[in-house]
Amino acid sequence: MSNLYTELKNEWSKHAPNLAHCSHLLDGFKLELVRSNFGTIQVASSSKQKDQLIKSREMLEIAVEHSITIRDYAAFERYMAQLNTYYYDYDKYLESSKHMHKFMGLNLLYMLATNRIADFHIELERLPSALLLHDNFINPVLALENYYMEGRYNKILQAKKSMPSEIYSNFMDMLVNTAREEIASCMEKSYLKMAPKQAAQRLGLRPGSKELLDLATRRRWDLDDEGNFDYAALHTRPLEKVPAKDIATHNLTYAQELEKIV
Amino acid sequence: MTNATDIGAHDVEMEVDPTAETLADEKKNQDVAAVQEIREQIRQIEKGVASKESRFILRVLRNLPNTRRKLNGVVFRNLAQSIYPVGADREAAVALMPAVEKDATELPDVPKKQVASKAPIAEVDAYFYLLLLVKLIDASDLKRAGTCADALMAKISIQNRRTLDLIGAKSYFYFSRVAELKNSLEGIRAFLHARLRTATLRNDFEGQAVLINCLLRNYLHYALYDQADKLVKKSVYPESASNNEWARFLYYLGRIKAAKLEYSDAHKHLVQALRKSPQHAAIGFRQTVQKLIIVVELLLGNIPERVVFRQAGLRQSLGAYFQLTQAVRLGNLKRFGDVVSQYGPKFQLDHTFTLIIRLRHNVIKTAIRSIGLSYSRISPQDIAKRLMLDSAEDAEFIVSKAIRDGVIEATLDPAQNYMRSKESTDIYSTREPQLAFHERISFCLNLHNQSVKAMRYPPKSYGKDLESAEERREREQQDLELAKEMAEDDEDGF
Repeated sequence: MSNLYTELKNEWSKHAPNLAHCSHLLDGFKLELVRSNFGTIQVASSSKQKDQLIKSREMLEIAVEHSITIRDYAAFERYMAQLNTYYYDYDKYLESSKHMHKFMGLNLLYMLATNRIADFHIELERLPSALLLHDNFINPVLALENYYMEGRYNKILQAKKSMPSEIYSNFMDMLVNTAREEIASCMEKSYLKMAPKQAAQRLGLRPGSKELLDLATRRRWDLDDEGNFDYAALHTRPLEKVPAKDIATHNLTYAQELEKIV
Repeated sequence: MTNATDIGAHDVEMEVDPTAETLADEKKNQDVAAVQEIREQIRQIEKGVASKESRFILRVLRNLPNTRRKLNGVVFRNLAQSIYPVGADREAAVALMPAVEKDATELPDVPKKQVASKAPIAEVDAYFYLLLLVKLIDASDLKRAGTCADALMAKISIQNRRTLDLIGAKSYFYFSRVAELKNSLEGIRAFLHARLRTATLRNDFEGQAVLINCLLRNYLHYALYDQADKLVKKSVYPESASNNEWARFLYYLGRIKAAKLEYSDAHKHLVQALRKSPQHAAIGFRQTVQKLIIVVELLLGNIPERVVFRQAGLRQSLGAYFQLTQAVRLGNLKRFGDVVSQYGPKFQLDHTFTLIIRLRHNVIKTAIRSIGLSYSRISPQDIAKRLMLDSAEDAEFIVSKAIRDGVIEATLDPAQNYMRSKESTDIYSTREPQLAFHERISFCLNLHNQSVKAMRYPPKSYGKDLESAEERREREQQDLELAKEMAEDDEDGF
């Protein structure tokens, strides 16, 4: 176990780690964890056990970073879930890790990027509240959530440059893409027509760029004579038919219930 | 003469002492009354067990808040003598009792005092320990309370009597409360789950209800909303639990749903919780529920009415929330920030802080809505100025998101750079009124059905109105005679 640990640490701290090698080591690490029954929480009274727990926690942190780099998000979720038990349940027995806040912020950002707002808020509840407002890893993520809910997507596009750690950039890209989709759908509903240049400016893309055209074709924006995007076609509401079946069922229920009232 | 003055002096002396004595006497009388009352309650419990009717035990338990105040060491010693026979049981009980005050004495003149000859029935045993536990919690003697609670749980776990259910339910609650005061809630979770399993298997609905509530309280104490939600989804809350338990359950449910962003569900549950709670007592509970309702209403975008804040008993505790509501109503971001920082610790105590942080977005939404209603055309710069945002671009983005979410009906025109509001549509031309009516009608019909189901007929009164056999024979005889007479009359007439 400790050999795995030292090897993984060395490999990861190199400038350009060999990702395949790391994956191999991590698989070995997973098996080791299972063998030393990591699932049961035993009071870590002996220092050897504590040591082992600390080592496993560090390996899990490396595993999380690794899964982001190879863009394996399912693995990221799994490792993050395991890491969470180390942060919350073992909190009383081990000193907190230096990177704890960074990883918590990362977790929150992931939920934001995949649009799981309910889970985001529940995770937020689990954090001790003093942490929320002052920590410089979690604060930007909270601010991002605010911008996203309010609709200030331009701030999101700007915030990409000011993330507290490079590892956040991966999820930031996902978030920016989601934000772009949101901006596009907002534009459809609120503008009647818009020139392509302005559209590009709002989306944060270069005018005439390939992404803009892809977006336009995907969302079926028509180009009218002046080359403006015309959204009026998306505005019409379908004619509402009289819902005869519903009305009939409701009325029959009423009649039935009223009969019961003697 | 000297005699008169002597007697006068004596008189003065005698007046000084009786005040101290009358106090002691009063206390003795109170204690005597308390002992008698509890003995009466024990008799009621025994009667309830004998006749297998839960009404007696229910009545005894309902009196618990009153009984609680009259308990003290002397009362307990007396009761222990009359309930337990001499032996290990009595020693164990005495060891847990609170200390007797210095100047109190034994009560020698309690009428009809008997020393018990046989061991008490399980219900009386459990009730006695319950009273002990309650007294120890009130006296904040946590160590002894812990041992008492464990002993009580042990007693209840080995029994399988339906009559013990009600007392058992109350005991679970106090057991959980002791653990909460000692900060060891995590440890009892497994035990509560095991008891919940047994209670469900035995159809002990009151126990189930109390245990689910204890578990939810446990999870919410540690902010484990996820697990609490799973518990609610997987368990069935018994329909026939008492109103108090329903009120608590609905409150916890409301909190969970509010944390998960399901605000309309949360609002529904919380309003129901308020309705099921007692009208004049339990003011602490109503304060907490009312605070949460206000925050959820704000999150839904509705402003709670001023009347809510003026209710008797709630005015002071809701002061901070009143300021919050005003900030949201005016759409003033700066004021909102001030209120949050000023009352932050208070909100944290009320567990509403995380919800209030989410209100920022609502402040902006309200502001936009009021702008949309009042202006037919407005430029983004003006909007930015009013909302105190950084730039017109921000304002444009926010407004366009608001339009997409349906907060306002408007269109943006980028060329001329303004926002134009649409005319509001006639709501009667849509299906809205029909849906609203349908909801109300189904609610009323549901209420009617449930009230019919809840009607209780007293037993054996159906037969009273019918005739008994003799009365029927008499009546038939009378009918026969009458018929004969009429026939004779007819014949005579002819």
